[in-house]
Amino acid sequence: MEALTDYEVIRKRLLIDGDGAGDDRRINLLVRRFIKWVNSGSQEKGYSQYQRMLSTLYQCEFSMGKTSRMYDMNLREVENYEKIYKEIECSIAEAHEKIAECKEQILQAKQIRKNREEYDALAKVIQSYPDRHETVKELEALGKELEHLSHIKESVEDKLELRRKQFHVLHSTIHELQQTLENDEKLSEVEEAQETSMETDPKP
Amino acid sequence: MERAMPQAVPLGQMEVLQALQRLHMIIFSQNVSPCGKFLAAGNNYGQIAIFSLSASLSSEAKEESKKPMVTFQAHDGPVYSMVSTDRHLLSAGDGEVKAWLWAEILKKGCKELWRRQPPYRTSLEVPEINALLLVPKENSLILAGGDCQLHTMDLETGTFTRALWGHTDYIHCLALRERSPEVLSGGEDGAVRLWDLRTAKEVQTIEVYKHEECSRPHNGRWIGCLATDSDWMVCGGGPALTLWHLRSSTPTTIFPMRAPQKHVTFYQDLILSAGQGRCVNQWQLSGELKAQVPGSSPGLLSLSLNQQPAAPECKVLTAAGNSCRVDVFTNLGYRAFSLSF
Repeated sequence: MEALTDYEVIRKRLLIDGDGAGDDRRINLLVRRFIKWVNSGSQEKGYSQYQRMLSTLYQCEFSMGKTSRMYDMNLREVENYEKIYKEIECSIAEAHEKIAECKEQILQAKQIRKNREEYDALAKVIQSYPDRHETVKELEALGKELEHLSHIKESVEDKLELRRKQFHVLHSTIHELQQTLENDEKLSEVEEAQETSMETDPKP
Repeated sequence: MERAMPQAVPLGQMEVLQALQRLHMIIFSQNVSPCGKFLAAGNNYGQIAIFSLSASLSSEAKEESKKPMVTFQAHDGPVYSMVSTDRHLLSAGDGEVKAWLWAEILKKGCKELWRRQPPYRTSLEVPEINALLLVPKENSLILAGGDCQLHTMDLETGTFTRALWGHTDYIHCLALRERSPEVLSGGEDGAVRLWDLRTAKEVQTIEVYKHEECSRPHNGRWIGCLATDSDWMVCGGGPALTLWHLRSSTPTTIFPMRAPQKHVTFYQDLILSAGQGRCVNQWQLSGELKAQVPGSSPGLLSLSLNQQPAAPECKVLTAAGNSCRVDVFTNLGYRAFSLSF
C-alpha cells in the first residue's frame, strides 16, 4: 500500500513539475530558506536570510498569480472559441440556404433566357418577311389595278358586243336582200318559162 | 498490379471471342430506372446490362462498380430502344417488345414478364422496332419501326389499338408533344409527321429536306433524331440540326454542325445533341455552340439524362454509342468516368 501511494505521489509530482526547474523547486527553496532563517544565529545573517526568504515568497506568489491569470485567460479563450464556432455554424447554414436560393434563381434565369431566345428566333424569322403596311399598300394598289383592268375589259367587251350585233344586223339584212333577189329571179324565171311554153304551145 | 498478369497467360478462344465482341459492340439504347439508381444499356448483340449509378458515383467507387451488376440476353437481335414505366423496363428491337420487372431484374435468370408483337402485314419478314414512346395519359405504348407505321399498344390489356399510316419509309424516332397529345415521328422519308392521338389522324407534315436552309442532299434526307418542347421541335440527321417553330412550321435556327446527329434533347435552356463525332454538343437556342465535351466512343448514338426525383445525387448525363462504354458526365462540362460492358 505504501509503495502504491508512493508511486501515486511521485507520479503526481512528476506530472506537475517533472523537470525540477519551476515552482516545486521554488517551494523547496522557500522551505530551506525558512529553516536556515530559523536556524541562523546573528541578527545581520538572520535579516539577510529573512530578506532572501521574503524574496522567494514573493517569487512564489508572483508565479501563482501568473498561473491563476493564465487559467482565467484560458477559460475565457475557450468561451470565445465556442462563440466563434457557433457563429461559423450559423453562417454555414445561411450559406447553404443562400446556395439553394441561388440555384432556384439560376433555374428561373435559365427559363427566362430560354424564353428570350425563343422570342429572338421567331423574331428573326418574322423580320425576314416584309413589313405589313407595305404589303397592305401593295395589295391595295394591286386591287385598284385589277379593278381598272376589269373596267377596261368590260368596256372592250361592250364595244365588241355592239359591233357584233351591228354586224349581225348587217349580215341578216344582206341575207334577206339576197333571198329577196333570189326569189325575184326565180319568179321571173318561172314567168319566162310559162311564157315560152305558151308560145311553143300554139292555138289548137 | 492486376493488369500485368493477363499478358503472361496465353489467351484462350473464349477470351479472344469476348475481346472481339467488346471491340465490335454498339450500344443502341439506354434507360434509367424509376428509382434513379440504375442504368440499363442495350447493345447490338441483344444483351441488356444493368449498371448501378449510385455505386459508381459514390465516394468509395472501385473498378468493379463501373462494370454491370448483371448482363442478360434479352433479344435475339439488337436492342434498339428501351423505355421505363414506374415498375417495368420495356425493350424492343427485333420486332418484339418485351417487359421486365425492375424489382427482379437484378436477380440471375430474370425472365421477361411478357412479350408482344404488333400486327404486321406480312408474317414473312418481321420489321425491327426502332423507337418506343410512352404516353402516360392514356397508359399506352407507341412502337414504330421498319413497317412505316406507328402501332399503339394499351399497357393494361396488351392489345394493339391503332395503326397510324403515313410514312413512306421506315421510322427512326418518336417524340411526344405533351400539351395537345400529339406524337411526332421522323423517318427515313425525310418527313416529320404529327399525329393526333385522339382522332388517329395525321395533323401536320413537315418535309425537312424541302427547305433549302437546312437540307443537305449529300447526307440524304433521313430524320435521325427528334425532340420537342410543345411549341418547338429540334430535328436532325441527314439535313442539318434545326430548331422549328411547330405552329408556323418554319425553321428558325440552324445549328452549324456538319456531322449528322443521332440523338437530341432539350435540357433547361440548352439543346444537347450527339451524333457522328466524339463529342456531346451543347447549343443555345440562338444557334451558338456553348460547349463541346468529348466522350470516349468514336460516335454517339444515345444520350440519357437522369432526372428522376428520387435520386438527386445520381443526376448525371450518360452517353453511349459505337463502343462498349457508357460515358458518365456528372457536370455537363467534362466526362467524369466511363462504365463499361
